[in-house]
Amino acid sequence: MRFPVYLLIVAALALAQTPPRPSPARRAASPTPVDAPPPKRPRAPAPAAAGPHWRDLQFPALRPVTLPKVETATLPNGMRIYLLEDRELPLVNGVALIRTGNLFDPPDKIGLATLTGMVLRTGGTRDSDGDALDEQLEGVAASIESGIGETSGTVSFSALRADAEMVMRTFRDLLAAPEFREDKLTLAKTQLRGAIARRNDEPEGIAAREFASLVYGRDNPYGWRMEYEHLERITRADLVAFHQRYFFPENVRLAVYGDFSAPEMKAALEKLFAGWTAKGAPVPAFPPVRTPAAAGVHLAVKHDVTQTFFEIGHLGGQLDDPDFAALQVMVDILGGGFSSRLFRRIRTALGAAYAVSAAWDADYRHPGLFRISGSTKSASTTDTFRAIEEEIEKIRQSPVTDEELRTAKESVLNSFVFNFDTRRKTIGRMLTYDYFGYPADFIFQYQKAVAAVSKADVQRVAQERLKPAQLVFVAVGRPADFVRPLEALNRPVKTIDLTIPEPKQTAAAADDASLALGRKLLARLQQALGGAEALAAVKDWTETAEFRFAPEAGGLQVTQVDRWLAPSHFRQELVFPFGKVQSYCDGEVGWLHTPQGSAPLLGEQLKQAQDEIFRAYFWLPLSDRREDRQVNAVDESTLEISDRAGRVARLKLDPKTGLPASLAYVSGSAGSVEERYAAFEPAGGILYPRQITIVRGGGRFADVTVKAVTVNSGIQLEELKRRPI
Amino acid sequence: MAARKSVSLLLALASLAAAQSLSQFEKKVTEFTLANGLHFLVVTRPEQPVVSFNTHVSAGSLHDPAGRTGLAHMFEHLAFKGTPSIGTTNWAEEQKALAAVQQAYDAWDTERRKGVKAERARLDSLQVQLQSAIDKANLFVEPNEFPRIIEENGGVGLNATTGLEATNYFYNLPSNRLELWFLLESQRFVRPVFREFFKERDVVREERRQRVESNPQGKLQEALLTTAFAAHPYRQMPGGWASDIENLTPADAEEFFRTYYVPANMTVCIVGDVAPTEVRRLAEKYFGVLPARPLPPLVRTVEPPQEGPKRIQIYSQAQPLMFLAYKRPDQTHADDLVFDVISLILSSGRTGTLYKTLVRDKKTALAVVSAPTFPGGRYPCLFAFLMVPAPGHSVEENEALFYQVIEELKTRPVDEATLQRVKAKARASLIRELDSNAGLARLLPIYHTAYGSWKKMFTVLGELEKVSAKDVLRVAAQYFTDEGKTVAWLTAKAEGKQ
Repeated sequence: MRFPVYLLIVAALALAQTPPRPSPARRAASPTPVDAPPPKRPRAPAPAAAGPHWRDLQFPALRPVTLPKVETATLPNGMRIYLLEDRELPLVNGVALIRTGNLFDPPDKIGLATLTGMVLRTGGTRDSDGDALDEQLEGVAASIESGIGETSGTVSFSALRADAEMVMRTFRDLLAAPEFREDKLTLAKTQLRGAIARRNDEPEGIAAREFASLVYGRDNPYGWRMEYEHLERITRADLVAFHQRYFFPENVRLAVYGDFSAPEMKAALEKLFAGWTAKGAPVPAFPPVRTPAAAGVHLAVKHDVTQTFFEIGHLGGQLDDPDFAALQVMVDILGGGFSSRLFRRIRTALGAAYAVSAAWDADYRHPGLFRISGSTKSASTTDTFRAIEEEIEKIRQSPVTDEELRTAKESVLNSFVFNFDTRRKTIGRMLTYDYFGYPADFIFQYQKAVAAVSKADVQRVAQERLKPAQLVFVAVGRPADFVRPLEALNRPVKTIDLTIPEPKQTAAAADDASLALGRKLLARLQQALGGAEALAAVKDWTETAEFRFAPEAGGLQVTQVDRWLAPSHFRQELVFPFGKVQSYCDGEVGWLHTPQGSAPLLGEQLKQAQDEIFRAYFWLPLSDRREDRQVNAVDESTLEISDRAGRVARLKLDPKTGLPASLAYVSGSAGSVEERYAAFEPAGGILYPRQITIVRGGGRFADVTVKAVTVNSGIQLEELKRRPI
Repeated sequence: MAARKSVSLLLALASLAAAQSLSQFEKKVTEFTLANGLHFLVVTRPEQPVVSFNTHVSAGSLHDPAGRTGLAHMFEHLAFKGTPSIGTTNWAEEQKALAAVQQAYDAWDTERRKGVKAERARLDSLQVQLQSAIDKANLFVEPNEFPRIIEENGGVGLNATTGLEATNYFYNLPSNRLELWFLLESQRFVRPVFREFFKERDVVREERRQRVESNPQGKLQEALLTTAFAAHPYRQMPGGWASDIENLTPADAEEFFRTYYVPANMTVCIVGDVAPTEVRRLAEKYFGVLPARPLPPLVRTVEPPQEGPKRIQIYSQAQPLMFLAYKRPDQTHADDLVFDVISLILSSGRTGTLYKTLVRDKKTALAVVSAPTFPGGRYPCLFAFLMVPAPGHSVEENEALFYQVIEELKTRPVDEATLQRVKAKARASLIRELDSNAGLARLLPIYHTAYGSWKKMFTVLGELEKVSAKDVLRVAAQYFTDEGKTVAWLTAKAEGKQ
């Protein structure tokens, strides 16, 4: 019932969205499925030539599923292995499950687990770097991938049988001793910064993300999220340490399935992993979940949509909850499939949504989320929410019908066979149950529990576990188009701020000593440059420079002309191969002009321009003359200048000359930037660097040659701010 | 040189594996065509007692008549509404009520056509009558009974998709329910009903809001297609235009069904634990009653030649995105596989040259994706690229770098190792696809309808072997030109130039 908006699915965009959720709505069924004929009921008279009625069909008993035999063993180094022969196709696949997770991220380095998972594979092994691995693996159509999610890490491989040995050697090297090369850490950070920058582009992702954050709370690993500032702090050493803490044989389960003989594979694995004898302390339990009080309606305003995307619900439970089967049946009747109550009411009867569904998303070791998700045209937002409230109330107050109960149970029981339709589902399940300490026959226990669920059970769990007063509503849309305001729901309405926080460089604590030393260093700097009065005499200046970007940064060559006029006017012209880009800012507002047209400076662009003004070469050394700025010393030769808007820049002085050796700051999504100065020549009585090297994210980004600097040429404000036509 | 040698040995083994899998696979496939022209593909995979079904109809949104776009998609939704014996409490009465709805609609529409001369009061009253006729017909509806039966019987993965060229209806059942699928699937095409039409029309309209209007990539793709194609119906998004959808009628849907849902225009694929003889018996029993009808008319419109680059910009609050596309011939053209090879060279895995240049080395993009046959392949189409700029990098920078990579492809022969690598990948990806019942049920009819036989899925590997570095140079130089180029990009809203 959907049409594909074609196949251009972007991997990078997927990062910006929430991970796929488990969908346990149809989790189970049986080796001997229940084939009880449905009760007869009066039916419509069938017209002639209609063929038999579906209720008259007799189905033979389903052939029992054959449970494939999984061999298990523990290698001498403590690693647990699971082996499954599957000779249909000439492939060998494997996955190592590592007990770790992003729930172990340090609060100031959120994203560390994710980065470790990404760079483990891309950073290569000691013998070959990531690029060489790409060529080697793709050359034989094999793959090795790694990742760390909320409650586990995985490293997996897939190879044609003929290449399995070679691929598994590389797999071992990556698992046991990844190199985490710096260039791939930089690449991974770029990708994650992109994901942060794009996380508000698709409304569906916003709703799912904000809902989880509100229900779990933003101050703990279940609800917090990665920001630019966290990425800034994470270094290669952090990745190496994270790997060392969690990747040791006793903390790894390895499943291999495919075209091999199990005894031979077992012997091969023993040999392959004989040299990996790392030890580690047992990994602790995941942190507990606690619920903050976030009940009410939370609105994220998004103007470029015609629908409201929503998530409604509260904290759910665990998979081993004794009521899990009854909860599944209940939530399935409420919003599980095409015949569920919400689907009938919101989509079929109101025609108000394409998608609406309810789920009791239980997790193995912590409470999951009870959530009702969907989207509706903006106008019907509040009415849809009301209808959902009513349906929740209805299922709590009155028993479900016999037919609803039968459909819900039968769909689980009759589809149970699909838990075994491929061999790898069996080995995957064994691995997962072992990992989370669940009984091996958990799925069959669940099947029995579903078969036993009664109408009374459904109503009891609906009453006990659905809590209308605690509901968290997240709406992402255009409130101006809502026919009835959200306030009509009689619940508190709050706004969600979607602003993406810029990376902060926190100013060092300034005590009297550091302030005094700061004043001293600044005075020395002013002196070395040509004196404070000469600096103050500069009313305007023009700098013409050639930018040569490093090959890694695009290799472009750009001419840049910056013009400055006191107290805070700044105009920049950049000549790119594709055309000219000009901008102007007076410190408060400004504009940007490109070959595509003109636009006001907004968001990050405006901030960048303001930051440039804050750091302007002739003005920064006079920061002691500005009330809103603070100057202190970080060490014997480094000045730190900060302002009330939170901008921070660090100037390192050449201990011999007192001239600026480098300027460090954090810039928007680009991360940490350092400008290194050399070849000073006088301009208007002030020494000015003619060679500047820009380093970004630890790597050389651009070389700048300053061609000319003109001081006090009498720039007029009118001319400076004039927009091109 | 030692490394090179071992690589080609491995490739030879991989190639052998592919050839073996064709001969092995062939034994599992049974094909037959009913007297009315309906074709069946049956693949026996008895490992577990499950079966996957897919009904592939060679009709999609590009067949939507002018002013009635969205119709193919609308019919697909209606196909879940049941039959004269499923989803109704009283078909005889419901049938009368549905006829009354059509009458009420016609009466309202007749008045509406008078335009400015239409009487306001009369229009209002006719609209009220229409609504009350709709309400009355709904009294007989057992909502969602058709999918409910499937779910209750253990059906999973139930859905359908409408593309530009084809519509697919699919789900999976425990294999003892084989006959249930035959009954349900045949009934919805033997005797379709147009139940709950107007509410479902709202749902179809919602789907467009969700996938296109509220989705930056959906919006940009719509802009790309409407710009790249001046006349050919590839310019239609599969969802149709909003106002067209809002005016569709049950009569439109019925006409579409009669014209395009013709047995000879449909292919059924069944994969799993089934006996081909039993499938044939049931096929005759349930689908034999479908009347043979003439094949639908051909699409007449041929896209006129493009004579220069086209560019379109979309304003959005979202982060920038860019599509770049070049015109190319249809999928039966001799160069079809060369385009596939080029796509693999440029953007597969971490070794694609666009990935290496824009994403890995210069870091100006977060991702570059290519689609060598877009938005479909039956008619001359596009080789399309989607680029996602990295933060701090513009679409212009990425466009400039993209041309450098394309220029390289046009002027420097691709090295042998790369050529061998992408061919090995194509072979292995086929082997991996043979692993899933539902995946096979989806793929086989695509090859059957596009190339006349499912075997093309395997024989294509032999043809792929013949693609040379010279072919790549020639095809890149011939088609990646400004004459056939369309660029669509999405950036923050800018003020108009003075």
